[in-house]
Formats: sequence, C-alpha cells, structure tokens
Amino acid sequence: MKNLFVVNKIRELIEIFIERFQFNFIEEDRYIHIVKGLFNTLEVTVFALIIGVVLGVLVGIIRSSHDKSDRPGRALRILNRICSLYLTVIRGTPVMIQLLIMYFGVMPALMHGGASKLLVAILTFGINSGAYVAEIIRSGIMSIDPGQSEASRSLGLSFYQSMRYIILPQAFKNVLPALANEFITLLKETSICGYIGFADLTRGGDIIRSATFSCWMPLIAVALIYLAMVMIISTLIRKLERRMRINER
Amino acid sequence: MNGENEVLIEVKDLKKYYGDNHVLDGISTEIRKGEVVAVIGPSGSGKSTFLRSLNLLEIPTGGQILFEGVDITDPKNNINRTRQKIGMVFQQFNLFPHLSIRENIMLAPVKLGIMTKEEANAKAEELLLRVGLPEKADTYPNMLSGGQKQRIAIARALAMNPDVMLFDEPTSALDPEMVGEVLAIMKELAENGMTMVVVTHEMGFAREVATHVMFINEGVIQEENTPKEFFDHPQNPRLQDFLSKVL
Repeated sequence: MKNLFVVNKIRELIEIFIERFQFNFIEEDRYIHIVKGLFNTLEVTVFALIIGVVLGVLVGIIRSSHDKSDRPGRALRILNRICSLYLTVIRGTPVMIQLLIMYFGVMPALMHGGASKLLVAILTFGINSGAYVAEIIRSGIMSIDPGQSEASRSLGLSFYQSMRYIILPQAFKNVLPALANEFITLLKETSICGYIGFADLTRGGDIIRSATFSCWMPLIAVALIYLAMVMIISTLIRKLERRMRINER
Repeated sequence: MNGENEVLIEVKDLKKYYGDNHVLDGISTEIRKGEVVAVIGPSGSGKSTFLRSLNLLEIPTGGQILFEGVDITDPKNNINRTRQKIGMVFQQFNLFPHLSIRENIMLAPVKLGIMTKEEANAKAEELLLRVGLPEKADTYPNMLSGGQKQRIAIARALAMNPDVMLFDEPTSALDPEMVGEVLAIMKELAENGMTMVVVTHEMGFAREVATHVMFINEGVIQEENTPKEFFDHPQNPRLQDFLSKVL
C-alpha cells in the first residue's frame, strides 16, 4: 500500500515537472531566450578572453621586464607606470561599475550614439580580464630561471625572440591552471551584462521568469548551463595541461 | 706561442661596480685567435663577471671590449649580431626544457635565419655525433644526466659556428665522474683550434689544455702567464697561496 502511494506521488511530481517545463520553455518558444542568451554569453566571453590575453601578455611582459632589470630605461619606466595605473584602477573597482561607465560614459563620448551593447560588454570584460591575466603572466615569467633568458640571449636571439620561443612557452605552461581559473571567472562574471540590457544567458532566464512568474525552472536551467560550460572548460584545460607536460617526463 | 695570431678580443680597463662594490676594477687583456685562456681565482674574485662581460650578459660600468675590432660596449653596436659569434656554456647548462635536444640545437640557427631547417638538422646531427650523443636527438633535457646536458649545451653553442667559446665553470655543477666526459670534449675543441675562454677550478685542465692562464683576484688580473710558468713559478703571493690550497 505504502509503495503504491510513493509511486503515485512520484508520478504526480513528474507530471508537475513536465507541465512546468512546457510552460516555462516550450510555450511561446520561450527557450529561445536561453539559447540566444547562451550564444551572447559565449560571444562576449570568447572575444573578451582574446582581448584579455593579448592585453595581459603585453602588460605582463612590460611589468616583468621592469621588475627584472636592475637599471630600467626611461621608456620602460614610463610604460611600467602606465601599466601599474591600469592594474590599480581596474582591479580596484567593481567590474559592474566599469561596465556602466563604459556604457553610459566612455563609449557615448567616443562615438556618436554610443556603441552596441555587445561591443561595450566585450571591451569592458576584455580590459577587466587583461588586468588579471597580466599579473598571472608576470608571475609566470618571473618563475622562469634567469638562466633561460641568458642562454637564449647568448645565442644571439633578440629580447622578443627569447620571449616568444623560450620564456613565454614555459611561463604559459606554468600558469595554465591560473589562466583557466581566470577564464572560468570571466565566463561567470559576464552574467552582470543584464545591467546594460544586454541579452546574455542570465538575462534570458530572467526574461522567462518575468513572463511566467516561476523562479525555479528558469534560474535552475541557467545555473545548470553555466555549470556545464565550466565543467567542459575545466576538462579541456586539464587535457591541454596533460599534453603539454608530456615533454617533461 | 700564438703571438703572431690576430687579436680576437681586446679588453681595455674593464670595470664593473655594484654601488661601492668594485667587482671588476680595471681589467685589460688580449685574447688571440686559437688561444685557450683559463681564468682561475677564488670565488667572488670577479672571474665569472669578467667572462659574462665579454658578451655583455653583464653591462660594464666602464672600459671597452673590442671584439674583432668592434667596440661591443658602444650602444650603437648590434649586440645580438655580436653574440651570434660568441658561444657560451653555463655552469647550470640552461638547456631549454620545453624543447627536444634536436630543437635545442636547431632553434637559434633557424630562428636567426642563418640556416634552413634542413641545414640546421644536419648540423645538429653532426654535432650530436661529435659530442657522442647521437641517440639522444629526440629526447628532452630532463632525461639526461648532468654531463650529457653539458655536452648538449656545448653542441648548442657550436651550432652557431662561433668564433670564440666562453665557458663559465662548465664542470662545477657536475658529479665528479661526469667531469671527464665534458673536459674531453673541451679538449677536443681546443685541439681543433677553437678560441676558448674558460673559467674553471679544474687545474689539471688549465695546465694541460690552456695556452694561457689568468689569475683574477679582487677584480684585477694579478698574474697572467703560460701554464708552465704560471703553475711552476707563480710570482704573486696571493696566487702562491691560492695554488697551495687547490693543488
């Protein structure tokens, strides 16, 4: 008797689940908000990541060169000053404020009518991520034995060739876990894009919530999608790490 | 003995100061083509700094270094070009751990546009044969013993066809039983006419292979002579004291 009761209860729950699922995602094609939001989130993350890595490597090289040299030249000192200012400002203020300043202040001042929300989001998160990547790259470069750069320079390689072929490949391998962490943080941080009305994944779930007034279904769906993406990234990075380490054993 | 050979490196009043610490306090000497110069001295004497100044890994505070007639301390001189002709071997080997042995040797000639990949590969195989490690071409530095690493480091420097080789205590980080294999290759190099400057604690090597021995102490050359005179009739009291302790 008791068994029958449990079975019926479960069947009832499944039916409620299917009904809520259809109501939240299938009716009026509401799932489109999630799908479009997911693509927008990925677009912002990928381009911001590219900007962040380029900026971060550049700033990281300048900062580590400055720190390593016992008598830095004038140009290097000025560049280092600019980079330090960039790091201080970006790391010292919330990324949300940066997003709002970029959207309402900087871009309208730079171009008539302001930039698209997508562009604002990409630039903001790219510049923001660059500051964190820079410090990761700097620590990576500083972790390489000075003998590596001495050996490559003594063969006649220029500073840039030595960086490119000897220092950065080794530094990159050392900081890959930290970079992966930054990548994951970046992906999740883009969830504040809704504040400038950009239709990212989080915003997609929110649109459904405000239409159906149910909180669980859309929010849990969004959370699960973020979780799945983070797990995929982690797995890929772990594979990459293992492949890069093959050389050393 | 090589008195008539042309001067390859001329050092004029070389100085290196770190604040009040005068590591090199006016060093002047000539290194001629084909000479093997052994540089010895107590630790902290400035001998490594002297060697590292010759390819500007240390920037001198004062003085001049003429390499093949060109002042390399002049900021207008392209130091990367100069370094292509000056091979260097380090105490800690400094092989590139992320590259295979073959790639370690090929990297500089290929990236600097001196050889094609095929030429550099042929050169690498020839050099690996010369240092007795042809079977190690496609392994990585971590799999080698200290002596093997140093032999590869010598091959890597030789790949650039340098006019002179600088050795910075090449056997000091090795297990005693591996010192011989590295010294044998250096000896073979010397016999084939390579100009070499060797900072070393191996007195046997200095006596047997060097054409010229230099005693650096307190930042200056205190004695410089042929090995026979240098070891049999040292003049400077500090050198006499030093030799009595190490021989």
